[in-house]
Amino acid sequence: MIKITELQKYYRTEEVETVALNSLSIDVQKGEFVAVMGPSGCGKSTLLNIIGLLDDLDEGSYKFNDIEVAKFNERKRSDLRKHNIGFVFQSFNLIDELTVFENVELPLIYTKVPAAERKKRVEEVLEKVQIMHRRNHFPQQLSGGQQQRVAVARAVVNNPKLILADEPTGNLDSNNGNEVMQLLTELNDQGTTIVMVTHSEHDARYSDRIIRMLDGQVVMTTVG
Amino acid sequence: MLKNFFIVTLRNLWRYKFFSLINIVGLAIGLSASLVIFMIVSYEFSFDQFESDKDRVYRIVLDMNRDGFEGHSAAVPAPLSKVVKDAVLGIEQAIPIFSFPGDTKADVHINRSEDKLVTFKKQEAIVFTNLDYLHLLNYRWIAGDPPTALIQPFQVVLTQSRASEYFPNTPAADIIGNRVTYNDMEVTVMGVVRDLNQASDFRAKEFISLPTIEASSLKGDLMFDVWDDWMSYSALFIKLSPQATPQQVSKELNLLYNKHKKKESYFSKINLSLLPLADMHFDNRYQSADFRIAHKATLYGLIAIASFLLLLGCINYINLTTAQASKRAKEVGIRKSVGGAKNQLIFQFLGETFFITLLATLLSVLISPLLLHAFTAFIPEGLTLSFLGNPEMIIYLIFVTVSVSISAGLYPAFILSGYKPVQVLKNQQLISFGQSRQTLIRKGLTVSQFIIAQFFIISTVLISKQIYFVLHADMGFQKEAVLTFNTPRDTVDIHRTQIKQRLAAMSGVAMVSNGFTSPAMEGGAFSNITYQNGSEEIKPNVQVRWGDEDYFRLYQIRLIAGRQAIQSDSITEIVVNERFTKEIGFQRPEEALGKFIIYNDKQVPIVGIMNDFHTQTMRAEIAPVMFQGRPGNTFHIKLQSEPSDWSKVTASIEKIYKEVYPEDDFNYEFVDDTIKKFYEKEQATAALLRWATGLAIFISCLGLLGLVIYTTNSRTKEVGIRKVLGATVMQIITLLSKDFIQLVLIAFAVAAPIAWWTTHKWLENFAYKTDISWWVFLASGVGMLIIALCVLGIQTIKTALANPTESLRDE
Repeated sequence: MIKITELQKYYRTEEVETVALNSLSIDVQKGEFVAVMGPSGCGKSTLLNIIGLLDDLDEGSYKFNDIEVAKFNERKRSDLRKHNIGFVFQSFNLIDELTVFENVELPLIYTKVPAAERKKRVEEVLEKVQIMHRRNHFPQQLSGGQQQRVAVARAVVNNPKLILADEPTGNLDSNNGNEVMQLLTELNDQGTTIVMVTHSEHDARYSDRIIRMLDGQVVMTTVG
Repeated sequence: MLKNFFIVTLRNLWRYKFFSLINIVGLAIGLSASLVIFMIVSYEFSFDQFESDKDRVYRIVLDMNRDGFEGHSAAVPAPLSKVVKDAVLGIEQAIPIFSFPGDTKADVHINRSEDKLVTFKKQEAIVFTNLDYLHLLNYRWIAGDPPTALIQPFQVVLTQSRASEYFPNTPAADIIGNRVTYNDMEVTVMGVVRDLNQASDFRAKEFISLPTIEASSLKGDLMFDVWDDWMSYSALFIKLSPQATPQQVSKELNLLYNKHKKKESYFSKINLSLLPLADMHFDNRYQSADFRIAHKATLYGLIAIASFLLLLGCINYINLTTAQASKRAKEVGIRKSVGGAKNQLIFQFLGETFFITLLATLLSVLISPLLLHAFTAFIPEGLTLSFLGNPEMIIYLIFVTVSVSISAGLYPAFILSGYKPVQVLKNQQLISFGQSRQTLIRKGLTVSQFIIAQFFIISTVLISKQIYFVLHADMGFQKEAVLTFNTPRDTVDIHRTQIKQRLAAMSGVAMVSNGFTSPAMEGGAFSNITYQNGSEEIKPNVQVRWGDEDYFRLYQIRLIAGRQAIQSDSITEIVVNERFTKEIGFQRPEEALGKFIIYNDKQVPIVGIMNDFHTQTMRAEIAPVMFQGRPGNTFHIKLQSEPSDWSKVTASIEKIYKEVYPEDDFNYEFVDDTIKKFYEKEQATAALLRWATGLAIFISCLGLLGLVIYTTNSRTKEVGIRKVLGATVMQIITLLSKDFIQLVLIAFAVAAPIAWWTTHKWLENFAYKTDISWWVFLASGVGMLIIALCVLGIQTIKTALANPTESLRDE
């Protein structure tokens, strides 16, 4: 599903150029659950952002479902993103001004799903993550675990082929963390490909494969 | 999607209530000003747009020139109207318009029944004209027979409003054949037409047939056969045939005029020209008592003020929205990561601006009546202020709402929609991406706001200073506590001495004089004199005044040399001012004593020299004046008592007046009030500028307050740390204020030269003017600085006094 070859990514300031990802190549198969691990600053999140087309790559090739997407413009990227990819962030990233229901509904609005269909799908997914009773609350009124469940619901409501999770349990206690990992595993079992960046060996054990990175390069791949 | 955008907009409005309020109020003030100004401007530009073939309609006007001194007249010699259509090729219609001589008004008497005579005093808008007038303006007939109306002498057509005023509760058809008496001239009503409901400078409401003039004593009064002179009561409009060109017609008109005029005029060159109907409402060279001229420069000034105020509101919006952008950045990142495209986000943020502007527009409709006070002096007569139900107004409101939304919203929309999700989502805050450039733009916009505010402050102070100067300057004569009133011209000779003696004996009256106008008058009374200086013939443009032996003493005009002119009904000798003596070539004024000037073909000696005084406004140079010793129909009264007693004195004067002239109204005016009226336009401009200044300062300070609240909030932690490390409250206030103060100072540096140049140009209208003093700039700059410091202080002091442990714990 994902084939990245010889990826280079630099961060440039006026004075220095830092290599964030250096000749990095990875493959992720359809239906796989891959964890990416490594120390802070090794380029995990940058890799995830590039996979999610939130960030550009400087050199190399990125094929998504055998289509070269490295040179896609903003419109094509947003199009590919909204139909194929769901994001789960460490800090949940819910819009404070929208309720639980409205937050989860957002991706369906951008894919122009009719209102009645949206309502049905949002309610289904809220049931699935067991947050239906909080549908009219605002993010600030929820606990961290509940907010992350909403974020997961939002990531999956469009039935994406790929979920990118950036330290999804980083801000959660172990009980809530386990619940979220359980959710992701269930989604993976239903066929969704998941790429997850994590610092937690515990969480990584939920995955099929662990990619370990250091200084912008893949140093080891272990099968979970 | 729209619903989602709307929900977010509403919730954001509510969440950032204070900033929303600043934005809405700032925009609403600019919008209200623009609303009121739009009504004024569109009204002025709507004049005479409805006449059919209006592009072919012209007013015949006169241009005069004498040694570079130009004169213009909207009136033409009366006989022109009789011959023009037949004598000049290419004229389809000729529409003469004559008014009653004097004040153009007439007393109208209606004999409603045998013993019931109703009088309407001083009725306006009565003209002598022909049927083409009614055709040109597409009057609709309610009663009467158009082909026969206004053909014979002593016929009149009334508008519906006048008809029902004169003959209440009478059907229009029954009014036909009734008699109406204008002063002492009886005419028959031949028709009733519907009133015009469009803006027009053709304001007549009663149309008397043109042949009436020739069949009555008006023929002489209106100089109906005099080609060599003209009175302001004689106007002439023509409609050209489709093939005719104005150039050709104008050429033939002048040939016709030159053929008929007999004697050489005072003006060496007189030219008849055609003023297009479209220009008539705006060309102030051709003023006339029968209609009002709109001043285009004033209208443009009003538009500029409205634009500036709107701009200030837009700047507030741009500044506050971009300053707060980081608060919306996370939302942008999330929307983009779930598939929102950039153009969708631009649409969303523009939509938000539109919604806020819409609220501001609604508010502006509510506060416009308040703002009308600012524009009272500029609201033209006849303009009714209605907002809703006026389709033009609704279209304007939609237009202005959309354009303000785009102007204010486009830049913030691009900034907000441009955030990259990776950067804004990473730490949930905005990293330095583009921030320094935005800060620079924000600073630039804040500086522009203060440039506008500062410009208004300096200009207002300087214009007010000039108005103070012209109202308080020594005019060369006594203008305080002097009142004047006119007596009916034809009977004053009989009563003059009697009135003067009775007035002089009255308590509270210091002195009484009788003569022509007071020393200064708007416009002027010029005369044609010649002085033979050796072989050289000098023809100065001389102002004329006359009065009895007490005139000089009453107005404290000094005699520099010689004596006063002897009182005489005919001119036998004159007193002239210093300027006059210079004009005819004398270095020392007294050298002119005993010299003769030629006036009305008569040699008249100069017997006295008086000091120079202003005969007109301070816009004009002091003119040469000649003074004759003869009485006139104006009484000048110097009051003695305290101002609190003046009303009693004027009541006593009125009593005497009424005893002598029981039929006439008593109207008096204080000389200093008359002089004040010279500067009504300037005073209206100053009043408007004071409002504009106040509003500009208010909107700018709202914006400044918003920015300082935002800045201090985002620096709370820094302030806490500095305080923990030992910073004093004053140091913190200085830290938080200094950037803003710098902006105000930069604005002053830019605004001061612009304001200097503008007011310098404006002052060029005056021959006598105040200095553009340095202290005005200093005081205006310091004033603005103090206002800015007060606004900044509201927030900086609060922040500086806050307990640092609070801010550090919160962080």
